[in-house]
Amino acid sequence: MFERFTKDARFAVVGAQEIAIEAHSGQIDSRHLLVALAEEDGPARSALTDSGLDVAELVRQARANINAGDALDPAALAAVGIDLDEVTRRTEATFGEGALARAGRILRGRRKHIPFTRDAKKSLELALREAIRLGSKEIDGGHLLLGLTRAESPARSVLSGAGADIEQVRNLAEGKSAAA
Amino acid sequence: MSQQALVASAAGDDPADGLRAVRALRELADRLEALQVERARRLGWSWQDIAGALGVSRQAVHKKHNRRI
Repeated sequence: MFERFTKDARFAVVGAQEIAIEAHSGQIDSRHLLVALAEEDGPARSALTDSGLDVAELVRQARANINAGDALDPAALAAVGIDLDEVTRRTEATFGEGALARAGRILRGRRKHIPFTRDAKKSLELALREAIRLGSKEIDGGHLLLGLTRAESPARSVLSGAGADIEQVRNLAEGKSAAA
Repeated sequence: MSQQALVASAAGDDPADGLRAVRALRELADRLEALQVERARRLGWSWQDIAGALGVSRQAVHKKHNRRI
């Protein structure tokens, strides 16, 4: 399936992994993909912008939502006076880049790859189906956004929470991908 | 929310906030322990030395970390 991904769709998948590392997430879910799509120029980002959403605010809310579900919640640590950014900086000075995230994977018995959740995998499969439905041989960021919003998903909830009109976003994404 | 307001809320009366903080602290401690133990082993520390530094039994630290590292 990945060989049919356009460059922006590949960037989104790689970006989702980087976001998961930054957030010390044990898994990559649809919200990580949403943040990656929203931060990268491409059909998905322009569909979100054209729908009238404040994309920077969407990204902020999505990241806060990701952090709040994580065991290593920066806000919860800040509440008892611990600055996770500072802990991360000092830890990386001794143990290398991404050390805290790696430690999370050691604890969970996975040392190299951050796995995708079932929800994220389903979103990618739905993106493929959306591309087929629209008669596209390639899967681009617009199709990924359609995949994230076709069924209930954490990403769709974050979008709704940020005030997005899901149907409008989907129509715009469809238009961007069709034009591409 | 300012840092001060966050600290005030943690010291406040909502158990949910306090419990979330405890969970996050435990996760942070577990991750730092994994990194430190891994490094100590690489530097040639015995399980006994590591256990002593952590204030736990040698069996406990060996059981927890040996299969991972």
